[in-house]
Amino acid sequence: MTFRTRLLALFILVIAVAVGVVTAIVSTRTARTFERMDNARSEALVAQFRQQFDARRKDVARRVEGIASAPSTLQMAIDFSQPNPDYSRYVDTAQGLAAAQGLDFLELVAHDGSIISSAQWPARFGYKEEWVTDAGVDWKQQGAFLDRVQLPESEPLGILAVRVVEAGDQKLYVIGGGRLDQDFFASLVPPAGMRVLLHRGGPAPKIAADETVHRIPLVGRQNNLLATLIVTGSRRELEELVHSIVRTGVIASAGGILLALALAWWTTARVTRPVERLAAGAREVAAGNWKARVNITSRDEIGELARTFNRMTYQLIEQRDRLLQAERVAAWRELARRLAHELKNPLFPLQITVENMKRAREQYPEQFDEVFQESAATLLTELANLKQIIGRFSDFAKMPPPELQQIDINQVVEQAMALYRAQLAAPGHPPIQPRMELTPDLPQVAADPEQFGRALGNLLLNAIDAMPKGGTLTIRTGRNNGAVRVEVSDTGEGLTQEECERLFTPYYTTKAHGTGLGLAIVQSVVADHKGKIAVESEPGRGTTFKIDLSAV
Amino acid sequence: MRPIGCRYLAVISVLAALATALAATRPRYGGVLRVEMRERAASIDGVARIGSLVFERLVRIDHDGHPQPALAVSWQADAEQTRWEFRLRPGVKFHDGYPLTGATAGGALQRLLGSGATVGVAGDVVVVKSDRAMPGLLTELSRPSASIAARGPDGQLVGTGPFRVTRFDADRHVSLAAFDEHWNGRPFVDGVEIEMGRSTRDQFVDLQVGKADLIELAPNEMRAAADRGARIWTSAPVELLALVFGPGRGADNARLREALALSIDRAAIHNVLLQRQGVATGALLPQWLSGYAFLFPASMDLPRARQLVAEVPPGDRTLPLAYDPTDAQARILAERIAVNARDAGINLQVTNQARGELRLVRARVNSLDGALVLAEMAAAFGLGQVRVPAGQTRPDLLYSAERGLLDGHRVVPLFHLPDTCGVGSRVRLWQRPGLGRLGSLQLADLWIEASP
Repeated sequence: MTFRTRLLALFILVIAVAVGVVTAIVSTRTARTFERMDNARSEALVAQFRQQFDARRKDVARRVEGIASAPSTLQMAIDFSQPNPDYSRYVDTAQGLAAAQGLDFLELVAHDGSIISSAQWPARFGYKEEWVTDAGVDWKQQGAFLDRVQLPESEPLGILAVRVVEAGDQKLYVIGGGRLDQDFFASLVPPAGMRVLLHRGGPAPKIAADETVHRIPLVGRQNNLLATLIVTGSRRELEELVHSIVRTGVIASAGGILLALALAWWTTARVTRPVERLAAGAREVAAGNWKARVNITSRDEIGELARTFNRMTYQLIEQRDRLLQAERVAAWRELARRLAHELKNPLFPLQITVENMKRAREQYPEQFDEVFQESAATLLTELANLKQIIGRFSDFAKMPPPELQQIDINQVVEQAMALYRAQLAAPGHPPIQPRMELTPDLPQVAADPEQFGRALGNLLLNAIDAMPKGGTLTIRTGRNNGAVRVEVSDTGEGLTQEECERLFTPYYTTKAHGTGLGLAIVQSVVADHKGKIAVESEPGRGTTFKIDLSAV
Repeated sequence: MRPIGCRYLAVISVLAALATALAATRPRYGGVLRVEMRERAASIDGVARIGSLVFERLVRIDHDGHPQPALAVSWQADAEQTRWEFRLRPGVKFHDGYPLTGATAGGALQRLLGSGATVGVAGDVVVVKSDRAMPGLLTELSRPSASIAARGPDGQLVGTGPFRVTRFDADRHVSLAAFDEHWNGRPFVDGVEIEMGRSTRDQFVDLQVGKADLIELAPNEMRAAADRGARIWTSAPVELLALVFGPGRGADNARLREALALSIDRAAIHNVLLQRQGVATGALLPQWLSGYAFLFPASMDLPRARQLVAEVPPGDRTLPLAYDPTDAQARILAERIAVNARDAGINLQVTNQARGELRLVRARVNSLDGALVLAEMAAAFGLGQVRVPAGQTRPDLLYSAERGLLDGHRVVPLFHLPDTCGVGSRVRLWQRPGLGRLGSLQLADLWIEASP
């Protein structure tokens, strides 16, 4: 994931989380506020109910009192106090009185509890309302109360009041009341979204899942539960509000994310473009272009970083140049030292031989010819050594560019091995066992067969020199990650880590008579073939050189 | 002198007072009688009470139940009562002026009797012959359906009765005028205006405010009418109020039917809702007609009713009780019956739908022939055939037939109720009662008191 992508994701995440948190906080606070309002409204509605209920009770009591105190009712009571009263004359009376007084229920009840006339159930005359004759109740003091009223098909709730009309020893009970039904509750005028329901047992009224519920028990004269007043408040407004908030939050999130995308795109572009330029510059430097520069002019940290990068590459170039110069000087010094060393060795015998010839001429003229002959032979030998030394240096200096052609590496290996096979079995030298492990059908490589053959020869010679006590020389070919590999292993004494690190340095040798140019030439050839050379060695376990060349 | 003078003066005063009283009670011609009724008639012969003023039969039944001459002045039958001869009253005219002839009367009788009898005419004698005895023929001929009518020049039915039709608005209003050429003399009143379709409440109000002279009264209005000075005419108990079971799951349960019959407190209904008018009954025929109605029990037996209901599947204990919504008292009666039934464990759902498993119905006694009435009621209630022929007067056979109809409690008789009329203060009647035994209006001898 790129830095820009991470930055974008971070922007979006931060904005989405921020909007989500704000939305959640607003929703929660709104819900709490709504619940407080709902509770307040419910309490107000219940208070309104109690107020209207009390008013209705007083109204019912007043109306029943009006009927009971009417002269016609008193006359009725007087008629009923006569022997063998004729109740049938009054069987329809309650309906008229109830209609006149606006009562839903009205019954005229004789002293023994028999219904004389019933407005709500006219056909029920003659039946008993025994509860009204309960001697323990003072109906004059008893206000209106809630009770069930028997009807043919139902038993609605009513607010009832009882008054007694006395005529002599006889009593006429007037039981009147009003229906407590949904119409009554409809008069409560609940605020929008609220409902008032009356539950009287049986199936519970349907209450939507989004409604809040408050229940108020309604009890009768003897504190018996008659019904439950249910006040419901719709949470729809709240839910719509919350939905609206969430919707707004989502829209804000979406808008914010889009805005964040654009902003983050622009911002990250401003932030990451210099970083990308830095990265590109670093890649160029890594690729060897030390002259790479990052063109960033901002004064922020990125600009400072870019300037530091540019300074770094500048200093790297300077250091490289200084290093090259130092190495060049060191190389020249080493060359001079090696030349001096190499040339001094043959020159010293030459000097001794010439001084011997001069001394023999002066001191022993008779032996001069003999000395001369011996000295001349020595001089020629040493001069040949000098010539050889100079030839080697000349060869190293004159390493030509390779003439690449497609070759079979196994063939080159076999030819090189053939050149040195006789040397491996030379008398007077402990035997070295050659081993060829060539992988057939290798892809061809682009190489100069002469130079690569010479490089292989150097490695073989090196291996032979490394095994003065004999051993096994193994040359192996194979594939390695799309390249063709050639390995040359010996079973000699091996090298230390330090020796391995310096092994390819020109003029560095671990041998007593080596020039230190053999492996340098090998590395030079491999490098000219765009290949790689590596060495693995452990003291006492031999050394392996590995060359990888790109397959064609 | 002075005592004698005083005595003369007193005698003269008494005579004057008597003369004034006689003048007040003496019939007078003139005036229009205003009648209101609940029934509606689509045709002039559609309502028996109106028809009896316009049309006449060969025979009429007097208040004591005896046949009396009407359009026939005499009749005789052979010993087997298979041949009857009726001599027509001479000088009888239809309202359009045409005389009543033997052919007209014979044709009417033939239509009435159908193929069961042969009607022949010999001058002013109409002969009725049949293969079977016809003991109830006189009763049959006294019924409204035996009225003698003819088609007038305008195609309308005309009769020979004391009043002729001058205007007829179907279902609303009938205007009758006195028929001057009636064989029994012109009625005292010049005419009769009949308003149809008036509720009993409106009728009662109209009587009290003087807008009506003659109205129908519901039983529960009688006491109030009497308290307000109205005179009451009542007939014999001629209307049966009964519960009739139709087909249905609950109604087909004999135990439920019997339980319902035993649960009804007829006494309370009679005392309160009917204000003691009529009689509670368990019989189809009224006591005055059959003489044995008291043998059918009409008392409540709630424990037995509950016991029977306990044997009825709970799902069968509910059934609708239908009543006639045009019957002012039917609803409260039905509701009271439902209250009684509820005590027994039967749930009656009172409804004003015309049809139902259980109906509260009224049936009239339209004849003095008990067998004929039984047959009509059996047909009306869907009880099947009656095993006694019309005219049969043997009480044991009638009782057996009625018992057969009532067994199974498909019909639960409740009350026999009289026809009741409230009469305004202007109306005077001399000899005969204004209502016949079967409830027919008899207005020929009625006159209207002159306004002071």
